[in-house]
Amino acid sequence: MKSRSGIMLIFLVAIATVSVFYTALPEGINAQQEEKTFVTHTGAVVTTTGEVLDPLYTSATVEFDPMEYLRDFNYGRVSQLSDGTTVREFTIIANDDEIMEVSPGIFFNVWTFNGTVPGPTIRATEGDIVRVKFINNGEKEHTMHFHGIHPAGMDGVFEPVGGNGGQFVYEFEAGPVGVHPYHCHVMPLEEHIVRGLYGVFIVDPKEERPPADEMVMVLNGLDMDFDGENNFYAANTIPFYYQHHPIQINTDELIRVYVVNMVEFDPINNLHLHGNLYNYYPTGTDIVPSAYTDMITLSQTERGIMEFEYEYPGKYLFHAHKVEFSEKGWVGIFLVNENENAVESKEYGT
Amino acid sequence: MELSNKSSKGKMIASGIIPFVFLVIMMAYIFGPGADLLDLGIPLPEITMEKVDFVDSEIQVIVRNTGPIPVEVAMADINDRIQPAAVEPDRYLNRYETALVRIPFEWNEAEPYIIGITIEDGTRFEKEIEAAAPALEPTLELAAFFAIIGTYVGIIPVMIGLLWLPFIKKISKQKYHFFLALTAGLLLFLGIDSIEEAIEVSEENLAGSFNGVLLVATVITFSFLGLYYTGEKLVSKAGSSRFTKPVAIALMIAIGIGLHNFGEGLAIGAAVGLGSIAFSTFLIVGFALHNTTEGIAIAAPMSRGKTMIGKLAALGLIAGAPAIFGGWVGGFVYSPFTSVIFLSIGAGAIFQVIITILKWIREEGDKNLSSAAVASGFAIGMLVMYLTSIFV
Repeated sequence: MKSRSGIMLIFLVAIATVSVFYTALPEGINAQQEEKTFVTHTGAVVTTTGEVLDPLYTSATVEFDPMEYLRDFNYGRVSQLSDGTTVREFTIIANDDEIMEVSPGIFFNVWTFNGTVPGPTIRATEGDIVRVKFINNGEKEHTMHFHGIHPAGMDGVFEPVGGNGGQFVYEFEAGPVGVHPYHCHVMPLEEHIVRGLYGVFIVDPKEERPPADEMVMVLNGLDMDFDGENNFYAANTIPFYYQHHPIQINTDELIRVYVVNMVEFDPINNLHLHGNLYNYYPTGTDIVPSAYTDMITLSQTERGIMEFEYEYPGKYLFHAHKVEFSEKGWVGIFLVNENENAVESKEYGT
Repeated sequence: MELSNKSSKGKMIASGIIPFVFLVIMMAYIFGPGADLLDLGIPLPEITMEKVDFVDSEIQVIVRNTGPIPVEVAMADINDRIQPAAVEPDRYLNRYETALVRIPFEWNEAEPYIIGITIEDGTRFEKEIEAAAPALEPTLELAAFFAIIGTYVGIIPVMIGLLWLPFIKKISKQKYHFFLALTAGLLLFLGIDSIEEAIEVSEENLAGSFNGVLLVATVITFSFLGLYYTGEKLVSKAGSSRFTKPVAIALMIAIGIGLHNFGEGLAIGAAVGLGSIAFSTFLIVGFALHNTTEGIAIAAPMSRGKTMIGKLAALGLIAGAPAIFGGWVGGFVYSPFTSVIFLSIGAGAIFQVIITILKWIREEGDKNLSSAAVASGFAIGMLVMYLTSIFV
């Protein structure tokens, strides 16, 4: 009798002991691994035997290359009408089943135009005929709604294009001059936009703007957990990308950035440039800049053109001065190199 | 005769095995490889941040995969701002596996922080820390501090309670039953209190997959049955001598209270560890006051035996000293899982003691549990505990 109760007690104690050790020391005994050291962007030095979780310093093989997107302008297949009008034809394919690695180790179901978020930057000159063959290979209905001036039937609102191969041809005259967004306009609209169905449509003036190193930055956010708040912010989708891979530019060279704010949920976004100021052309419709500043604030789909030159070489940050956004990925660096083509010595007032 | 016996035995075995075979076949059909009958939904990943330590320029989080599918830890943030981090040993977590996430961060003492961990599908989990405090290093000094606190909370109040013994010894049988019932009332309150605490801890810190309430119920049942069985053996052995039986019961009461006090020690240790100074002071004062009543619980049955100062002191130690161990565990190696387990064991032990006391009153009191003394004792016991608990 005594031994039985003893066994029972020992049994209980054993269970309690095992559970204590299992839970109190959950790290357990790990095999010795090689130690590595990394420096975070806040300057902290960490030595670890484990893995590094860092959206900045891990060399990620993101499928979408923001660096390529930055200077990629799609002018379409060009032909001429009998009256000499230029026709630019584009093919845009919508999809809604793509899983993309949006930040190292984090995967998200993006909805895309031509497989990327943002979709391709479409570019035409004022007065050109823009013909967009739109194919919807997704499962849901999608459209393309262009900001700008066009007939009612080309607005992409009341002409939903069915999924699994539905087609529609948008055709209109490019105008007005400036930088405009295009995006899907199917309900629930916010979801179609947040998941990535948007892009940039640039209309150049007939008389070209001065030559410059041109780039496009779509300010966007991703709501990973569908709670109506963005978990990531970025210029061109991938958080921290341009901080990890600085954008190379030259001193004394005109830089022209087409900026479009596509952030949903948050009422504003902004862009602050370090060590410099820029001429700002809201919506790009005016030829005269409205401000010379280092800070603009943009509401949803507000956009404009920034022009600046750097005098001194080196690294310059640009980011949302809504610091929350920059600490969630919307931050980048211009690496300004000495311009070899520039005049060796400047002459000051003769 | 023998032949038919054998065949009937065979039949019996077969009749026992056949349903079992069918059961196995059924389970294999439903759950076995390739079975898609139960593909009823999408399994959602889940991780639990079990422990957060604030060390030198770094926040360390122990993360456990408590969901049904493997996960990969992908990102860490503090107050919803993405931070570079390291994860050891690696980012891949199988079910119930843990990893240590180290986030370099210049945190400020006593400020609140929300720690967020994002997994590969973008789901973010967070844990709120009310006030950052440096992780306790298990130094001798701190161990001594907990020992002193434990003594104040556990041992001294119980000993003070024991001083009522001479008083209880002098009273009539009716009044004695009143005090025994009072003890049961005190204990019932403590038992319910332990369950409440265990459920609270499990809800706040344990993942849903641990089935907190059921874990508590299972452990209570386990400890109740285990202690009931051993207790009965102890009492029946002691039954031969009239003087040792009260000691046996008092011993069980002391063990039950000891386990409960261990839980209290855990609470204090954890509160100190988490840096909630005001809260831990509150707990210390409250528990100390509360625990004098536990002394009465031990004194009541002992009053019918010979007074043995040594034994009494030992029982007081059994009941009180676990508060010290609880403080150590809570302060140095706190884990919500262990505290749920200990609190549940304590509750089971207490219920076992209540049953034993009631049985004893019934035996002593001419198989009657419905006397005014018993009813009022029980009620007052609960009431006294409730009133003192207001201070905690």
